[in-house]
Amino acid sequence: MTRSVGIVGGGHTRWGDREATYKDLIQEAGKATFDDVSGVGPGDIEGLFVGSVQPERFAFQTHVAPMVAELLGVAPDSMIARTELACASGQAALRYAWLAIAAGQLDTALVLGVEKMNLPDEHAAEAQSGMTNVMDREFDGVNGLNAPPYFAMVAQRHMHEYGTTREQLAQVSAKNKSHAAHNEFAQFQEEVSVDDVIDSFPLSPPLCLYDCSGITDGAAGLILMSEEKAREVTDEAAWITGSGQACFASNSVNNLPSMSAWPQATTAAEQAYDQAGIDDPVAELDVAEVHDCFSISEIVEYEDLGWVEKGEGGQFVEDGRSALDGDIAVNPRGGLLGCGHPLGATGVSQALEIYNQFRGDVPAERRVPDPETGLIHNLSGSASVHSVMTMARGRP
Amino acid sequence: MSDDRDAVELPDTIELPRLLDFYELQTAEHTGIHEFYERLHEGRLSTTRCSDCGDVQFPPRIVCPECHCDDLEYVDLPREGELFAFSMLRAGAPLGMEDEVPFVTGIVEVGDVRLSARIDGAEYDDLAIGDPVELKVVEIDGPADHERVFYRFEPR
Repeated sequence: MTRSVGIVGGGHTRWGDREATYKDLIQEAGKATFDDVSGVGPGDIEGLFVGSVQPERFAFQTHVAPMVAELLGVAPDSMIARTELACASGQAALRYAWLAIAAGQLDTALVLGVEKMNLPDEHAAEAQSGMTNVMDREFDGVNGLNAPPYFAMVAQRHMHEYGTTREQLAQVSAKNKSHAAHNEFAQFQEEVSVDDVIDSFPLSPPLCLYDCSGITDGAAGLILMSEEKAREVTDEAAWITGSGQACFASNSVNNLPSMSAWPQATTAAEQAYDQAGIDDPVAELDVAEVHDCFSISEIVEYEDLGWVEKGEGGQFVEDGRSALDGDIAVNPRGGLLGCGHPLGATGVSQALEIYNQFRGDVPAERRVPDPETGLIHNLSGSASVHSVMTMARGRP
Repeated sequence: MSDDRDAVELPDTIELPRLLDFYELQTAEHTGIHEFYERLHEGRLSTTRCSDCGDVQFPPRIVCPECHCDDLEYVDLPREGELFAFSMLRAGAPLGMEDEVPFVTGIVEVGDVRLSARIDGAEYDDLAIGDPVELKVVEIDGPADHERVFYRFEPR
């Protein structure tokens, strides 16, 4: 890439079952984002990228990027788009903003991820319909294959093939939810023990309720700038050092290469590591926000992001190597398990967390000691697509 | 004051369009893979194979994803398969399935194809990876003007 791109600030709404509309969430996140970056206002935004998955179903609204522009008073004169890549839509928006700036098309972009997922109780099945058509609706969704049973089968196969234990899955949830207990934006702010996870409702066995992320309303925003522009407004930024993506020609069960491995994550990570000059990710990464939509996901990701040998992911969490003071602090924000998962906002929030960790703007209970490098990872759908971005702390 | 206002009448419930029905319309006027459903009506689970490169797909297609040939032939899959993975849907069912939970859903290997399917006639705790299962065809009553069917599996 020709130009360096930095995240110079961002903002967050409270996440959860919110008494707020889709448009309310956009405005809250937009205000928080612009409030965070002095010297950048709506009039500076040349590109707008909005991550949002199902506003048509959850909020009965389409053409949402111009709606964000209107609500926040921004008039992008270079690029505007909504990105939809299911659970990775937020990182997709971030990736396109990075590409646009790096390629010299624009200098300042707003990235905003937003999802309104909670409908009144009597309409919960309508929301679930929007979660059960992510894989092939005609041949998978029709079998009730939404995320919990799908990832439960990933867990079942991983346990079957590699001996991963029920306790190791619970250790991921307990770790991440306990971080979220110290995140004022998180949906679930309670300390959770391994036993609490195993004793929770057996939603889709072997996964229990606390192995699953939430149904969440929320939004988050970021401002990205070229190095030249960033220098004018801030002393510190999170520089995007690498970004990779990979997808197999698959969305339905028959065409997935594996039910216990995600080689696309490896491909995407290797692209990002290569761009960032990372040879040994475990030694060189300080903090990572990875896509723990379910506890099993984080275990598979330790392996397929290249941190441990295949099958050793369970041991990685059991040995505390993903704890705050471990080899790589994984999901200090609280992860999707603790923060909830407003689909289009998740990747945006993860990147903001890396920036906040770099500038020390997180509570002491979940602060990573002096991080210099970070990574975000998202999977989407049946984990057929993986997106990885690396960042480094520094001065513009 | 309010007595003078015009009232806008909306129905208490709005009939949902069939776009929210998970089962596809199955006849030739609706889908290019109607032969798959016609065979399923006869109790045969099938899929497409490319006449040119021999690639076998699932789900069935109208164009081969390997060579983009559009001359595909239907081939029957075995009636008997093996359970590769399974779980349950206990909550969080989409529209139309709320009354069916809890149910077992899984992944079945039939010949060279791996497909997802509902597993009938068994509790989760009674099943194990590798269990032999057999095809069953169910009729779908619902918002369509033609008879529809779908496949499930059950322990053999």
